[in-house]
Amino acid sequence: MNETQASEITASENKGRLLDMKSLDNPRAMKLYRRFDGIIILVLFMFLVLGIQIHFTLTAGDWDYWIDWRDRRWWPLVAPFSLLIFIGPFAYGLWARVRLPIAGTVITLLLCVVSWVSRYLNFYEFTHFPMSFVFPSTYIGLGILLDCTLLITRSLLVSAITGGALFGALVWPLNWSFMAASKVPVELNGMLLSVADLMGYQYIRTTTPEYLRIIEESTLRTFGGSVTPLTAVFSGLCGIVVYGLFLWIGARVNQLEIFSKRIV
Amino acid sequence: MKTLKMKRMGVSGVLAGLMLVLLAGEVLAHGERAQLASMRMRTVHWFDTKVEPLNVKVGDIVTVTGKLMTSEWWPKQMASIEDTVYLNIGVPGPTFLRLHSEVNGVPMVRSTAFPLGKVYEYKTVLRARVAGRYHVHPILNVKDSGSLVDKGTWLEVAESDSTAPFTNEVTTMLGDTIDLENYALGDVYGWHLVWLAIGIAYILYWLLRKELFIPRFIRVRAFGQDRANEIITKKDFVAGGVFFTLTLATILGGYLWAEHKYPITIPLQTGKVDVVPIEVPTGDLEVVVDSASYALAGRSLTMRVNVTNHGDSPIRISEFLTANIRFLNPNVTESEIYPGEEMVAKDGLSVSVDAVAPGQSVAVELVASDALWEQYRMTGIINDPDSRFAGLLFYYDDNGERFFQEVGGAILPAFF
Repeated sequence: MNETQASEITASENKGRLLDMKSLDNPRAMKLYRRFDGIIILVLFMFLVLGIQIHFTLTAGDWDYWIDWRDRRWWPLVAPFSLLIFIGPFAYGLWARVRLPIAGTVITLLLCVVSWVSRYLNFYEFTHFPMSFVFPSTYIGLGILLDCTLLITRSLLVSAITGGALFGALVWPLNWSFMAASKVPVELNGMLLSVADLMGYQYIRTTTPEYLRIIEESTLRTFGGSVTPLTAVFSGLCGIVVYGLFLWIGARVNQLEIFSKRIV
Repeated sequence: MKTLKMKRMGVSGVLAGLMLVLLAGEVLAHGERAQLASMRMRTVHWFDTKVEPLNVKVGDIVTVTGKLMTSEWWPKQMASIEDTVYLNIGVPGPTFLRLHSEVNGVPMVRSTAFPLGKVYEYKTVLRARVAGRYHVHPILNVKDSGSLVDKGTWLEVAESDSTAPFTNEVTTMLGDTIDLENYALGDVYGWHLVWLAIGIAYILYWLLRKELFIPRFIRVRAFGQDRANEIITKKDFVAGGVFFTLTLATILGGYLWAEHKYPITIPLQTGKVDVVPIEVPTGDLEVVVDSASYALAGRSLTMRVNVTNHGDSPIRISEFLTANIRFLNPNVTESEIYPGEEMVAKDGLSVSVDAVAPGQSVAVELVASDALWEQYRMTGIINDPDSRFAGLLFYYDDNGERFFQEVGGAILPAFF
């Protein structure tokens, strides 16, 4: 392609963009756009609901199904990783294309809603587990923080550093408000258990034996046993890397030719 | 004509469906037939399994007891039970509460390890929770090998006489009595509603506006990435700050509230416990397997063994147990069959020698033969990659005392 051809394409594209802008003053065009917006919302809703449910089930499933899996070390690492992998590309797309900082909130909100539906129908109604044993975690607050850092800083890089760190670090305190009760101590046959452990023992899971749980397995045991804050810091650092990486993947996907067609 | 043909097709379809339903066998569902025949023969020998009582109501106690022996012929291609194992119970989900479980007197809340060639006595105490008819199986979950299932026993659970909802009350170490069926659900619902409300408010702030996806897309394209931030208004910026602050404040507030409400908490507990095994009560009988063969046509396993009685009492072989199937010698009456017990071939074992006298050394032929070989898919042993068998041989002395030991070895198929 020579220089003359390139400038011709640019001129043509600029003309198209001016036409697009003019259409925003046209009530009939705006009416049409709103209808298309409705379709986009519907399609995005279906895709994100199914996508996040399948993705989260495959990557963090049991950690979120049972309260006796949500330990202080692995669950606060696994859950934000899983979510940031999914949120990253959508956050980039929605910001770069339409400047909407909503990907984190929408995805965590939909995950919460679909998890409640799944836990109620599949776990409570169909397989008889009590809701007090299988209630989902919430990540909505983390999604809002992620989106708001992008909105306030208007920078993907800064939001990846601050938002990614907050997303990873605050999983435990966000959920502690309704999870603390499950960590109250009980005694069974002379053995110390938390209420969550006891429920995991009493409510039988034939194919999920006790040893499958990964409870605080690692060698990060410094700082006087301060497991929760240490994990939060580590999870925050990893959140920055994971979110940054998947924002970059989102950027690469957005550069594909299919995303650069003119609308009008 | 066409309508008549369609009607006939419809009737045929309904009949075919009915046949499928009527001819379908019982769904046992815990894998008692599914696993490799050799695997069932050479991993764990379950015996004396008792489920009592067999008819209960919701809220009643059911006790499952029995014994097991870990096979010295454990397949090399399977992760061993000597590493990590968990005593479990095979029921359809939490239709029962497990109140207690133990092996050789050690509580089995956690996982353990079983050395091979030893005996373990287990007990599981259940409380019926959901009415129904259940096939109850003791199960050992072996890490990296999966579940090893004992035979099942059918159990009827009727509705409770009481109309009150089922409760599962325990007392915490802080002295509070709680019902695990709905423990702290008020907190869970309340906080989830708070977060849903904040999340929905944030989404609605962005969605309830005149220009959403396509108009914003047009503006961003027209402005270019350098100026695209201009479509974020000052109001958006302020809203972002408000939501950011509100979210952080709510997280902090929720955390402090929970710390105040539940000041004493502990991390999730885990670990392994040790179980002292029981030695196999072999008595004074020495058994050496000479050869074994499996007759495909006759559905029978024939063992030729050399036995020596080192004791001072005659010994009679009463039973051969393999893959949870009991082949009983009808000439020895001491063997007990428990209520509801399945997989028992009452006349399944023929022994060429009635009794082995004290000091006698004799060659004995044992033939374990029954349709259960076919029913429980044991005929598949000819397809196994490691054609060996193992099982328990039970025998009694003159005082009626029972002994047993494991026998095993190579097995050859007899095709004709």
